Amino acid sequence: MIKTEKTLHLRSCRGRTVRVVREHYLRERVPCCSALCQADCDNGAKVLPGDLTHYVVPDAEVVADYLEILEFRELQGIVFTQTACQALQSKGRRYYNRLRSLVKDPRHDCVLFANEFQEYSYCPREKGETQDQWMTRCVYSAAVWYYNHLAGVMNIVMITEDQDAVARYSSLNSGVFVISVQEYLQSFWPDLKAAHELYSSISQVLQEKEGEDSEKEFTEHLPAEVLEAGIKSGRYIQGTLNVSKHRAQNEASIMTEGLSTKNADLSSGVLVFGGKNRNRAVHGDVVVVELLPKSEWRGKTTALSEGQADEKSEDEASRPMPTGRVVGVLQRNWRDYVVTFPTRDGTQSQSRNSQRILAIPWDRRIPKIRISTQQADALQDHRVVVRIDSWESTSLYPNGHSVRVLGRAGELETEVQTILMENCIHVPPFSDAQLREMPVNSPEKPWTVDSEQAGRRRDLRDTHLVFSIDPRGCEDVDDTLSVRRLAGGELLELGVHIADVTHFVAEGSLTDLEARTRATTYYLADRRYDMLPAVLSADLCSLLGGVDRYAMSVMWELDARTLAVNKVWFGRTLIRSSYQLHYELAQALLNGDPADVPELAELGSEEKDARLAELTQALELLTHVARHLRAQRDRGGALELEGVEVRAQLDEDRNITALVPRQPLEVHETVAECMIYANHWVARKIQETFPYQALLRRHPPPRQELFSQLVDTAEARGFTVDTRTNKALADSLDRAVDLEDPLVNRLLRMMATQAMSQAVYFSTGAQPQDQYYHYGLALDRYTHFTSPIRRYADIIVHRLLTAAIAVDAGAESKAPANNKEVEETAHHINNRNRAAQRAQNLSTALFQCLYFKEKDPQTDPRCVADAVVYAIRDNGVLVFVPEYGLKGPVYLRNREGQVAAPGPDGGCDWQSGSVRRHQDQITVSSAGGSATFRLFDHITVRISVHSTSCHADTLNLELLQNRPHHSAEAQQDGPGRGRGQLVQEVVRLAEEAQQREARPRLSREEREFSQSRTPNLYSLLEEVRELALMDPDRLAQLCMTTA
Amino acid sequence: MAGLELLSDQGYRLDGRKATELRKVQARMGVFAQADGSAYLEQGNTKALAVVYGPHEMRGSRGRTLHDRALINCQYSMATFSTAERKRRPHGDRKSTEMSLHLKQTFEAAVMTQLYPRSQIDIYVKILQSDGGNYSTCVNAATLAVIDAGIPMRDYVCACTVGFVDETPLADLCYAEESGGVSSLALALLPRGGQIALLQMDARLHQDHLETLIEAAMTACKGVSKVLDEVVRQHLQEGSVLTGE
Repeated sequence: MIKTEKTLHLRSCRGRTVRVVREHYLRERVPCCSALCQADCDNGAKVLPGDLTHYVVPDAEVVADYLEILEFRELQGIVFTQTACQALQSKGRRYYNRLRSLVKDPRHDCVLFANEFQEYSYCPREKGETQDQWMTRCVYSAAVWYYNHLAGVMNIVMITEDQDAVARYSSLNSGVFVISVQEYLQSFWPDLKAAHELYSSISQVLQEKEGEDSEKEFTEHLPAEVLEAGIKSGRYIQGTLNVSKHRAQNEASIMTEGLSTKNADLSSGVLVFGGKNRNRAVHGDVVVVELLPKSEWRGKTTALSEGQADEKSEDEASRPMPTGRVVGVLQRNWRDYVVTFPTRDGTQSQSRNSQRILAIPWDRRIPKIRISTQQADALQDHRVVVRIDSWESTSLYPNGHSVRVLGRAGELETEVQTILMENCIHVPPFSDAQLREMPVNSPEKPWTVDSEQAGRRRDLRDTHLVFSIDPRGCEDVDDTLSVRRLAGGELLELGVHIADVTHFVAEGSLTDLEARTRATTYYLADRRYDMLPAVLSADLCSLLGGVDRYAMSVMWELDARTLAVNKVWFGRTLIRSSYQLHYELAQALLNGDPADVPELAELGSEEKDARLAELTQALELLTHVARHLRAQRDRGGALELEGVEVRAQLDEDRNITALVPRQPLEVHETVAECMIYANHWVARKIQETFPYQALLRRHPPPRQELFSQLVDTAEARGFTVDTRTNKALADSLDRAVDLEDPLVNRLLRMMATQAMSQAVYFSTGAQPQDQYYHYGLALDRYTHFTSPIRRYADIIVHRLLTAAIAVDAGAESKAPANNKEVEETAHHINNRNRAAQRAQNLSTALFQCLYFKEKDPQTDPRCVADAVVYAIRDNGVLVFVPEYGLKGPVYLRNREGQVAAPGPDGGCDWQSGSVRRHQDQITVSSAGGSATFRLFDHITVRISVHSTSCHADTLNLELLQNRPHHSAEAQQDGPGRGRGQLVQEVVRLAEEAQQREARPRLSREEREFSQSRTPNLYSLLEEVRELALMDPDRLAQLCMTTA
Repeated sequence: MAGLELLSDQGYRLDGRKATELRKVQARMGVFAQADGSAYLEQGNTKALAVVYGPHEMRGSRGRTLHDRALINCQYSMATFSTAERKRRPHGDRKSTEMSLHLKQTFEAAVMTQLYPRSQIDIYVKILQSDGGNYSTCVNAATLAVIDAGIPMRDYVCACTVGFVDETPLADLCYAEESGGVSSLALALLPRGGQIALLQMDARLHQDHLETLIEAAMTACKGVSKVLDEVVRQHLQEGSVLTGE
């Protein structure tokens, strides 16, 4: 049937050498994946463009060693050969998978050519030829084939590190050039500095590889077969290594997954104590441990340690827990790490060679990484991205190489980049190819509604009064609302109209892929990285007032009296928002206060009144419906938990004029309620149509034992908290109000939030139906539908809904993706969301530190604040500083064993003494007397910055007085100063400092990630909006549990 | 652990075939003069020799005589040199007994045994070189041998193995693929009527995939049948030239 030739391959298998004969079929037609192809190869979707100056074919060795350089997107027209691919496969699965994803990624200009199956490019191995020589020859003949196949139109460059090959092949063929990597980079990419740096750092590492000393520091890992057999027989345990944040040197634990839960002892994890037992495993690796004999088991330490205290892990009792040692690593989960090169002052005695530097990772859980570099002097005190290459058993530290320099430690830009890097957030600017996919909307060429689309959509422009309510100054309006009376007042029609992002972002397009990778818009304290290009997020998808926009709508027909749902309609619509309101304005209209609606400013007073009355009536109707919906959910047990409640008011120059506590306006709740309702109904719809492939969001009930701190703490104040159901919890939290101290309730709600598990996306095929429940919202099914501009999950839901509508219209029932794909995507989005949240928290902490860094803690009154004790530890207390929204530990006993003894005037100084801990109080006694700290006591603390050059700065809280702090300023400001102001102030200071020093602004590379450079009105508002939890589901305040 | 990638992203298998492509099949009929029928068949690197005696009188125990049809007696064996490592293969080990039984079942379904009551047909198959798909090679070789012996059959019996990797059925597995942890299915088909003579699978497979897998196996078997048909015609042509017709 097919013309095939057969050749023989000789291979040796493991153990004895065995002659294995394998068939090898060759064919004439192997797709070349080039746009220049003359022979109409059966190319796939991805082809190399024809307008390049050359194609580059790296040989096997180059692919194995310098893959990272080839990963640069700037390098175009790379042809990977199958030979090189197979060589990489023998190096390790991880590398091979990286190459595979590279080839699949449409943003990279590279293809894979199956040269060994091509009749003319294949060359059998000759007698006496080494493997390496043969592979180089294969790659060369593939390069020649390409040149001939493309009829000599395109020059081919083969890069190799083998000097013999360069000498042998370079003059054989006119169009095929054979050069070394360095030469290639120098002649073709002289401007790509990052690649040059990476090249020199990798080649340095490769040179260093020879000549290691043979002294063993660790025991060897066991071979994979032994590990697998051991896991199956139950002798070993498999799990993910989780290094303790506070005692990274010694403590690590293994989180086991499912498999070994039959052993009850192991449910809390296995402790791995000390570096020797950890045996070269790095945080995040999947490892195999062997349990030590029971006599060597030990417990975790519980005292507050140096560094930030984490509430959850500190609670562990110190009883011995299963302890083990790592015998093997199944999977390395190394990522890019940010390290700091230490200042050179003789501390580097351990490195014999001056070119080897022990760099300290930013993440404390990662061991120091040894880096060979010639730029050690230049990089002092710089933050650098590195990758770990290997960790031999003869070495105390892993070896790595540097990839990219972020900048000098301590600078704002460097630190922000560090945060992004450490959370694996990659947000390069949108590429030209992506932007080319976008529709154009410019004054010269305005975007208009397509008449064909208009025909297919339900037109609501004339029939419905559509309006949006958002924070003041919002640009990306995701959602609009409409409400009207039907059938003479008997029926109500409520509509929620969401921006139709999927119309613009086709599945599988470059923008879609980029959005999928980002998964969400990242909000940092001072900036924002959008998920979609600005032309969509701020313009065409934004449902602005007075312009025609595509929307995805949900409309309910409600009974006017009982508000029961008669009918639901889902579909694509065409809308024109009449009013773009903000919350305060809407509330003012509702209250009947005089309000100035900008859209009506130019109308005559009579018409204006009529329009105003119409709008007000709609708002009232909406509020009425929302109240009913809320009550319905409250009966089910919906929770309201604590969030931060500060809001910035800005003037025209984008300066903050005042910070007002967020007035919980009813209209907030109204909008949120409508959104929750829409999300719920969409969830129902897609789940019913696609029972196994729908993307929903669930919020699992929290584990009861996590509530113990909350219950105990509440008891200290005489409240009982019932945590059995969400309804009981909500009710008892409402009751637990101390009239004298409103903070008590706030703290309790905060603790309840911490006990919650996180809400996650999932595929309905992956969970039984009773697990769909959303605990916080008290809904049986929930999803995210209402913010497709900034969440990828919503985009998926939109596609599902579109498919579901098509099914209703009689199309074949086919889900856009199968269960496995949906589950994978859900997992990815959950991961990215967590990373986004972590990055946001870290950047907030960063700004807090920068704020206090400018102040002298001894003299500046702003560094002294009031704090509330909310938990007791062995040697100190954990406090909450409401003024700055800070949490942290206060030590009552320092490392020298001295205690913070209260003086007669309430002031404290360090003396010798003792500390005793009780259930809900801690007593400090010394020569000067004794003092007791109870839960919810107010104390005065001084805030200072504890700075380290290698890690993130942390805030240090120090006890000043054991009584409430009352400063004149604090009373004036009240709770007014919050994170928003901190951010603003720090940014201002940073910029002033830069101008003073007349230093050039941060280099291009440092800037390349940032899109909004300075905090403008919009980004700040967005940030405040996030913090203030105005977002519909966050208003329900559930998803905020960041562990 | 680091199992081989059986189907690359470009759709190539280890040996360069695409998913639906068969290995090269080469065959010769009438290789031995003394037997009633014989054939030699190569399917890639798997090589088999099949010899048919009969139909003849019952030999050995007469008690096994069937009064309405012929008894089919199959014997399968592997040469000691057929694998990469030389291995003594005693007669009648479990694997070859099982294989013999499968062959017997297959040919009972295909040979018109009712034409020869109270007689016996012997089919002996030997694997000379093994590289995956032993059963299907044996069936295909034996078909040719039976045809060579002039025993009437309902149709060719063609067999093929298929495996299931990454949601894709792979036709005609080689040894590397068979040992790579693929759930494989062997199917013997009477191609013209589309009747299944034997279907064997002893691996786990989701029920939903079974249909596609059988579909792929049938297509592959039909492909094999075309090749066999050509071989038979070729052989007959040569024969007719010799006899001068």
